[in-house]
Amino acid sequence: MNRRTALSLMSFIAALMARDYVLAQTAGQPAGASGTGRGYPSFNPDVSAIVDMFYHQSDSKEGIGHVTGEMAGFGHAHGHGGEGHHHHGPDKGFNLRHLEVQLSAAVDPYFKGSAIVAVAEEGAEMETAEIETTGLPWGLKLRGGKFYSDFGYINAQHAHQWDFADQPLIYKLCLGEHGLNEKGLQLSWLAPTPFYLLAGVEVFQGENENLFAYHGEEPLPTHDGPRAGVGWLKIGPNLSGRHALQFGVFAATGKHQEEHDGDGDGAADHWLDGDSTFWGGDAVYKYDAPRAHGQGDFIAQAEYFSREKDLRLVAHDLAPQFVGNSRVDRQDGYYAQAVYGFLPRWRAGVRWEQVGLTNESELPNGTTKTFGSSRRASAMLDFSPSEFSRIRLQVSQGSYETAEGREDVAEVYVQWMISLGAHGAHKF
Amino acid sequence: MKITPVLLAVSVALCFGGEAAADRLKIVTTTTDLAAIASAVAQDRAEVRSICTGKEDPHMLTAKPSAILQARDADLWIRIGLELEVGWEPPILDGSRNTRIRVGAPGHLDASECALVLDVPQTAISRAMGDVHPMGNPHYWLDPLNGRRIAGAIADRLALLDPPNAAFYRENAAAFQKALDERMFGAELARSVGADALWAKTQDGSIADFLRDPAHKDKAGGWAKALLPLRGKKIVTYHRSWVYLAHRFGIEVAAELEPKPGVPPTAAHLANVAETAWAGGVKIILQEPFYSTKAANQIAAKTGARVVVVANSVGGQPEATDYLALMDLIAAKLTEN
Repeated sequence: MNRRTALSLMSFIAALMARDYVLAQTAGQPAGASGTGRGYPSFNPDVSAIVDMFYHQSDSKEGIGHVTGEMAGFGHAHGHGGEGHHHHGPDKGFNLRHLEVQLSAAVDPYFKGSAIVAVAEEGAEMETAEIETTGLPWGLKLRGGKFYSDFGYINAQHAHQWDFADQPLIYKLCLGEHGLNEKGLQLSWLAPTPFYLLAGVEVFQGENENLFAYHGEEPLPTHDGPRAGVGWLKIGPNLSGRHALQFGVFAATGKHQEEHDGDGDGAADHWLDGDSTFWGGDAVYKYDAPRAHGQGDFIAQAEYFSREKDLRLVAHDLAPQFVGNSRVDRQDGYYAQAVYGFLPRWRAGVRWEQVGLTNESELPNGTTKTFGSSRRASAMLDFSPSEFSRIRLQVSQGSYETAEGREDVAEVYVQWMISLGAHGAHKF
Repeated sequence: MKITPVLLAVSVALCFGGEAAADRLKIVTTTTDLAAIASAVAQDRAEVRSICTGKEDPHMLTAKPSAILQARDADLWIRIGLELEVGWEPPILDGSRNTRIRVGAPGHLDASECALVLDVPQTAISRAMGDVHPMGNPHYWLDPLNGRRIAGAIADRLALLDPPNAAFYRENAAAFQKALDERMFGAELARSVGADALWAKTQDGSIADFLRDPAHKDKAGGWAKALLPLRGKKIVTYHRSWVYLAHRFGIEVAAELEPKPGVPPTAAHLANVAETAWAGGVKIILQEPFYSTKAANQIAAKTGARVVVVANSVGGQPEATDYLALMDLIAAKLTEN
């Protein structure tokens, strides 16, 4: 976008907000006070912290992290090859996911800001830091900074909101532990339709290690950011009474680069550059029972995710004859889960997942490899002493197609989470 | 770039474009009680919808897409406040992208600002005390005097948003208040003595003697007279949601079945409650239909008290069709034998 267009766009947005301020002023009230809803005067941000710890065991010798890092067709956890034991996964024994500190507040009548700092043992990381408009007309909202993409249903949910102790396999494999969390801009629009329709486009820098990786050094070409874009749609039909339903569809595309160490000597020897695309859909149904403490509440959700990496071999130290050829990887997967509050404060849930139903690689040497699929079944039981604390027991049994053959892994989690402070309400 | 002058033109136009006046105002309330009172005040000049149905605990709700849709189109949003809806209101207001109903905007009415609030914590609070509301007990609509004040506040806000019809709203509010006064004290008494004087007597404690005075006994009626036999008596409630009713009618809440607000009854606590109930001569255990009656039945079995399950919100039971009918129902259920 050139400078003149950017300037006119900015003045356009400024005019939109000025209009809202002017209208509010004539009505005799300020254009919008703190969005926290507190009655007493305070300009301090809402601060809250989540402590999420869990105990994990599995019957896999090297751990579930190693298994999922070696899945056939899905490649290694990084774009790098040969990094044998560097896995992302829970340790056997006690784990502290991280201490999540959230800050949020209205900045002024026009914007709201929030940030999540994830403090782990290795240090603090900015998980999200974002600015959001609060006063655009026509149902528009602009959001910028570093944030979770709103595609799908579970991607934007933080770990402590999950109904299971771990991420669905397909997202862990395709986007990594943090999902799609990038620097960029999002414009969303609540349509003036008689049913709920939310449409969004996002432009991101493109730095996701699994799908939109960028190295930019020789011999890989440089690409200026932003390098990835996402579009999504969410539709909620009007259901009467205690039922609620929301469907979503999404698609994304972006630049992707990989470097691999084919001969395992610790140095990269072939490089690929091209595009990644993903698309899919999600559906969530919720029944909000009238009884207290969540008894009778039911939620069912499912998502399907498909990705294609369409890369060109840019350089190959060991097999230069294939340079210029393409490599296409196609993988997909889904999960479906349901949770029911069978007693006040008690819930039980089941989840079924499959990945690699489509699982093939068209290699630069002209051959095509197909790989098998993997699946996992999980069940969980959780007890929430209050809205601010939760204890969960989860068991899973999975059958994984790895680079080293098929492996069956049973896992158990015991999770304990609390939230301190003014934790905001969650979306649907 | 060709787009620049177009954007500039549209920007300028937007600055000066106003909003077209809607034919009927769209009012969205968080609870059915607010919706019932708003309907009485706005009559046919507004469409009134409530997010809650009256059948559930209003503390926790799933923010459904359809709720966001209602909020999107709302001209006036009314909430109970005092953090009753803090668990679900913000995502609805945020998701609606409706700038008219943002907190602090004229289209957002927090009804607690007009209410007489009880249970305001006087000491430092923490969540170890359970689900304590830091600014006071939010169940204030169960005091009919607050019902009166809510009607007035809604009329004032509608007068601000729709000035040509200000007199209409204020007349309707006055009519609602008059009907409420008559249901509270009895039509004859309200007319002869005057409602303001009678309300003042409920606040300074002289109402019981006044109603029993032979000079007024025959004219007295309504909820005040019906609930006279319970004045000074002790009851047990499930949650601390009936303090306002108790306060207005001189009833004493001796204990709650919840050991702390939001914590379900425990065996140890129920043993204490049974003792307190027995010692205090408690005859009524009062609770809403969305709580389990297991604990209440336990106490009833030990003390001979009667379990009264009654809605605390319009629509919570079929007879509670509007605010006045809700109070009728509560009074009837508390005094039936």
